[in-house]
This record gives sequence, C-alpha cells and structure tokens, in this order.
Amino acid sequence: MNSNQIIRESLSQGVNFTYIPDSKFKTTLISFSMFTPLCEKDVSKNALLPGLLSHSCKKYPTLNSISTKLEELYGASVFTSLSKLGESQVVSLYAVGLNSAFAHENSNNIVDLNSLLCEMLFNPSVEEESFKLENVNQEKRQLIEDIESEINDKKAYARRRCEEVMCENESFGISIHGTVEGAKKLDGQEAYKAWKKLLSSSHIEIMVIGTAACSKIVSEFKNRLSKIKRENITSCNTQIIKKAEEIKEIEENMEVSQSKLVMGLRTEIAAPHSDTTALLVMNALFGGTAQSKLFLNVREKLSLCYYCSSRYNKHKGVMFIESGVEKDNVEKAKKEIMQQLKEIKIGNFTDLELEETKLFLSQGVKSTNDSLSALNSWYVSQAFSEEIKSPRDIIEEINNIKREKVIEVANKITLDTVYLLSAKNQKEEA
Amino acid sequence: MEPKKISHEALKEEYFYMNHPSGLSIYVYPKKGYSSKYAIFGTNFGSINNTFKLKEQTSFTVVPDGIAHYLEHKLFESKQGDAFKLFSKTGANANAYTSFDKTAYLFSCTDNFEASLNILLDFVQSPYFTQENVEKERGIIAQEIKMYEDSPEWKSYINLLGALYQSHPVKLDIAGTVESISKITPEILYECYNTFYNLRNMALCIVGDVDYEKVFSLVDKKLEYSNPLEVTRFLPVEPHDVAKEFVSESFDIHSSIFNLGFKENMKVDSRLSTAESVYTDIILHHLSSPSCEMYKKLLEEEVINISSFSADHLEGPGYSSVVFSGESCNPQRAAEIIRNYVDKLAISGIDKETFERSKRAVYGKSMTVFNKVSDIANILMGFVFSGKNFFDYMDILDAASLEDLNSRLATELKSKYSALSVASPK
Repeated sequence: MNSNQIIRESLSQGVNFTYIPDSKFKTTLISFSMFTPLCEKDVSKNALLPGLLSHSCKKYPTLNSISTKLEELYGASVFTSLSKLGESQVVSLYAVGLNSAFAHENSNNIVDLNSLLCEMLFNPSVEEESFKLENVNQEKRQLIEDIESEINDKKAYARRRCEEVMCENESFGISIHGTVEGAKKLDGQEAYKAWKKLLSSSHIEIMVIGTAACSKIVSEFKNRLSKIKRENITSCNTQIIKKAEEIKEIEENMEVSQSKLVMGLRTEIAAPHSDTTALLVMNALFGGTAQSKLFLNVREKLSLCYYCSSRYNKHKGVMFIESGVEKDNVEKAKKEIMQQLKEIKIGNFTDLELEETKLFLSQGVKSTNDSLSALNSWYVSQAFSEEIKSPRDIIEEINNIKREKVIEVANKITLDTVYLLSAKNQKEEA
Repeated sequence: MEPKKISHEALKEEYFYMNHPSGLSIYVYPKKGYSSKYAIFGTNFGSINNTFKLKEQTSFTVVPDGIAHYLEHKLFESKQGDAFKLFSKTGANANAYTSFDKTAYLFSCTDNFEASLNILLDFVQSPYFTQENVEKERGIIAQEIKMYEDSPEWKSYINLLGALYQSHPVKLDIAGTVESISKITPEILYECYNTFYNLRNMALCIVGDVDYEKVFSLVDKKLEYSNPLEVTRFLPVEPHDVAKEFVSESFDIHSSIFNLGFKENMKVDSRLSTAESVYTDIILHHLSSPSCEMYKKLLEEEVINISSFSADHLEGPGYSSVVFSGESCNPQRAAEIIRNYVDKLAISGIDKETFERSKRAVYGKSMTVFNKVSDIANILMGFVFSGKNFFDYMDILDAASLEDLNSRLATELKSKYSALSVASPK
C-alpha cells in the first residue's frame, strides 16, 4: 500500500475526511476525532461526552439496545477515547466492523455501522437542550470513578503526576479526564452546550481505513454536517517552553513495594519543527529500545531495574524517562540516567549504534501500514500539519539523520522535573 | 519432506505445516500485502511445570517457582553474546514471554527477516548459563516481581486463582517470588532447559508475506534430531470445590477491584475441546455484553463501570475458569448479581434469538484475529500446544447449536464452584 492511494477531502469548514483503502484487513475502522483547546473550563464537560454519545442515542436510547444493534452488525464495536495532542483535547469515537464481503447476511455492514456512528454523534438522546438526566448521572458516576481509580495503576499515576507538576502553569498539565470536582458540577444543559460547541467549532478529522463503500459514507457525513453551522473553528496553539529554568523535585509517598521514578525534560523542539525526527532518533538511541543507553546501563549493567525507558512527545516538545527501582537505589538510577544523557550529548555513541537504531525505528514505522489502529493514529496525529507525511516519508527522514544532528538536538535537552512515587518509610520504627 | 497445506476457502486464509524430522512442528502462514513478518518459537513449558521426572529417574524433581520465567530471561544470553545485540544488526523487534503453560521467544520485523530468523533459531537452541550471568539477572527479575506487586489488578487476579485452586500450580505467580528465585542456579536452569526445550516439545510459527518453501529450507538447516521426549509432568488431582470462597487484600488504592471466578471441573492434565471453547466464548460474549440483563442490572445498581468490566476465560492443562473482573464500589453485590444470573441462566438456558445474535457477534469478532500477523502467530501457537486445529474453531462456531450451548452452560458455570477476590482500599 502506498500513500498515493489515500483519498483526502474537506467535507466542511475544518472537517477533513481521509479514506485509506486497504483490502488486506477483514474489518474496517471509522474514526471521528474532535480537537478543541485543552482548558480547565471545558475539560470536564468534554470528558463526559464520549460516554454520553456512545452509550445512548435517539434511535437506540439504551446501552442495551445499542449493544443489541452492534451484535446484529456482526459483533461490530464502538469505542471512544480522550487524549491530548499537544494542548488540544481530543474526543474520539471509533467504529470497527466486519467487512461486508464476510458478513454473509448484510452486504451493507460497514455503511450500516457508519449510520449508527452518525446517530451517536449527531442525534444523541437529548430533549429541551439537555442530555437526559439519568444518562448524565450514570456517566458522571463513571467518570468520577475513572478519575479516582487512576491511582490504581501506580506507573501511569506517576507519569501523570510528573506531567502535572512539570506543566502546572501550562494547559498540558491539565488531566485529560478533568477533576472529580469538575465532574461533580456537570449537568445535562452544560453537556449539551459542549456537544453543540464541539460539532460546530472543533477541528474534525474523519478516517475510514479498510474496505468500504466510501461514497456512501462521505455522503452520509456531508448530509449530517450540512445541518450544522460550522464557525469559529478552533486551532491548535501549544505553548512550547524551550528550556527548563530550574529543576523541580517532588516526592510523594504511598504503600508501594517499588519506587516509580519519572523525569520530565524540555527538548526545545516540537512539531512543526523540522528536527522532530532527529529527536525521535535521539530518543530511541537514548532510551527507546532494548539496545538503548538506558536499557544497557541502568538495567543490564547495573541491574537496578526491570524497565527504564524514555519517550518523546513531539507535539509538546517534551521527553519523559521512567523507571521502577528500589527506594535505596533511586539516587544511583537518577545519576546513571543523567550520565547516559550526557554521553549522547558529547557524542559518545558509535556510528554503528546510530545506524542500528535507525534501522530499528524505520522498521517500526514501516509496520504502521499493517494495523488499522496504528494507521489511524498516524494520520489523526497530523491533524494540524501543513503537509501530511506517510510512514515512507518519515523513514526517509530517519535515514537522513546524521550523528552531528543527533548530538545537536541532544544538547538542547534540559531536565525540568524529577517526580518520585516512593514507598512510605518503614524503617522509622526500627 | 513436503509441507502440508491447510486452507480455508470462506476465510480466504491458508498456512503450511510440517512435522520436521528433528521433531519440531513448523507452521508458515503467508499473508500477502503485509510488510510485517512475525516469528515465534515456543516451548510447551510454563510456570505450572514445576514438578517432573525423566524416564531414568525414580522420583519427581520439584524446581523453584518462577523457573520457566527466569529461564526465558537467561536464554537471551549465548556464548556469542546477547541476543538483543544480535537482533540490533537486523533491526528486528525481539521479545519473549512466559505464561502458565508456555514460554515463547519472538520477533517482528519488516526487513532482514531471514537473518533475524537465524538469530531466533540459534539463541533459543544455545543456552549459556553461568554463575555470574544468572546472578546478574536476579536483581532485574526481583524488580519485575515488585512491579507486579504494585499492580492491584494482577494481585487480585493471582489471589483469585489461589482461592479457586486447591493444589493446581496455576495458583502460583508466573514469575515466582523474590524468595523462590533466590534458589535458582545454573544447574537447575540447565536441567529444565534440557528437559523441556526438546524440539518435540516445541513449535515455530511464522506469519507474514514470506515464501514458505524458502522458510522451510532455511529452518531445516538449523535443526538437529531431538531424542524422544521422556518427561513425565506431575500435575496434582484438583477437586472441583474451590479452596476459598472469598479472599481479599488491601492496597493504597481508591476503589475496589474484583475478580469473580467460576471453576470448571477438569480431569488431571486435560484440555477443553475446540467445541467446548467455542461454546464458552459465545456464553462469555453474552455475559459480558451490555445487551445482557445481568449487565443492565449491574449498571442500574451502579456496582460496575463500563470502562473496567470484562469477562475472560483462562484455560490450560487441568484448569478452566471463567473470570469476571472490574472496579466496583460494592464487589460483594456485583458478585451476588452475577452469581444469581448465572445460576438462573444455567437452568433456563439462553433463548434462540440471543444465541443467534451472540454467535454472529463472536464470528465477527473472531475475524479480527486475521488482521494482524502477531495475533495469528500467537493464537496459532496456542492451538498447537493444546492439540487443536486453528481453522476448526471457525467451522465449529459456524455449526454451533443452541442445544449444545445450553448443555455447556449447565455444566460450566455454577456459583457453587465460584470464588471472589477483592483488592480493597486501605
């Protein structure tokens, strides 16, 4: 499959439609993603919408009836996500269904599934400019439980806390699900207004990947969108802080058997900067693979941990390093991590290491074409890009990265925040 | 020796199988149009195989818990060096995992497939355990165990297995404990390796846009004749009754996490048939679907949430359990609703319309397996080790009847043989 087969058109102001035909998959994915600025005022309202929209609609008012319909459509599924792209809050609904060729008793399986998805998005269970009270209460309860249970996954919790602490004065620091207090205040009218606002003024990306009667899907979306006055379309303005001024260190205690260390760094480079691919390579060399500096030294050489890795967020221009270590070894691990960053900054890596890293990375990028969800994220994450790049384009960029460039981008990186979730001190009584 | 072609017309899928003279079962599954290639080399040896004896031995050997997992970590080291290092030359993404009943080594790649396959076949067949390298791994694995100790989901699941099973080793944590792994030595690792990493006890599955003939001839060069497998695995007789009806552990968390398991009566070392698995999957689809009355009640009473509630089937030699899990503000009530519904359903049976709809849904969902080379390879390997044929599943599903479903339902799920595990806030 190559990129020139992709069909892309604008369906309305700020609404992009992309069709990637690929007959090797037995199912087809349709996604609908709405991008809006991440802000405290709106975050909770938007966080309630995925549940409100996907668990009920006018045509199928109960979860029970929606689920029955999905089963009839050959076990199709509709699921949702809330995510961040830079400082945009992204509310997405996805539908995945069996291709009509395999759905023996329904030659319109995907088109029918798309209609159901459109019912959820455009014709929800609302009356008198409000979502139904019982639905709002059910979704509020679940949103609050989701937020409260974030603490159950200690690794993810530590990651989120580091983001919050590091970006406390930036929108990026806002938790994507909002807060319990914010969720408690929500009502049906506010959610209704938030839904209206998303449909009229958010930037929208619609993707169809697989095998589908594309023209029918396009005309359904066009028809639905034609009834909405699209105006004041929001754009994405992510604040990029280039350098950390001082290092923030935060330690919190919980009953854990292993300390979770997360370090947040500023990289100076964020999309649409042309050096984001160089940073991708630098990150892989530093802590992105099982041959990276962090893996080989912090884990293999010093046996300090099971995991120690880094990841680069190119939309915000930040990097996070995480590891799980014994409380007594935290200082040793931190020191070694910073030492390995320094090694890259001074060019202490071989050409061979760099070439191998590039080879590894480019194979990962190439395999994007073999997964519906990977293809979807690949293109949806380019919602605000001037020029849409295919996996092949990025592979070419990766191959062109020189060692000097890796050293150059590494030298822009500064440590901003060290977050530690550590065990409560039990030795105190002893 | 000619590979055998196995195809399925309606699915438009096919693969090639060979029982190689060395004793290894080899599966090559060409997928046109994919750039990813995936290879998995596994052995029918997992955490439950902690007691065994060889033909010449008179008594059973008991090895430390977590040995299969420790061996998985250590096999990456060979005299030629670290396998990850070798894979870095080819750019493949290599990994491995250990489960209750198997250990598998794998890689995925888009380029240099043959070179990576050679590395995989070499390192899995060349153990190199020394006092020093075994020692070095102890700290790393201890941290992996501690990482799991901090996961209330995993702990609650393992606690459930401890409540369901009185003696079957499926109740033990796959990685063992910090204490049990302290007893692992190079000698014990070699003993397990020599016993279970016999090609007759192993399988190789390759999926991707590959030329099957070339793959078979390449693999052929890397395999040597393996002696007949002469190991007797010991698995205890497991009564149907659960060990404990309720188990709970507290964590630094906000809301409770529950795992409710229904235990099936299994003969020692026996596996479910494909048909039994198919019917279980249809039943489980129904029970975990929001279209089910039970789900509706759980939501109405606000004792589950949609984002965390799920149902799974755990099955292997001598064990089979259905597990419902999720977060809940009232796990006891959630368990009560599920138990009551399941008992009622076992008597009344599922109605015709629900059955047809669930069956159709399971068919549609099963088809997604064929989308990904990694999913095909892993599922295929699971089928091989349980002695089943991959495509049979879809045919049996197609022919599934309501009568057989309801008789399976009546024997499999009974609240009398269930246990509840809760991870609760402090």
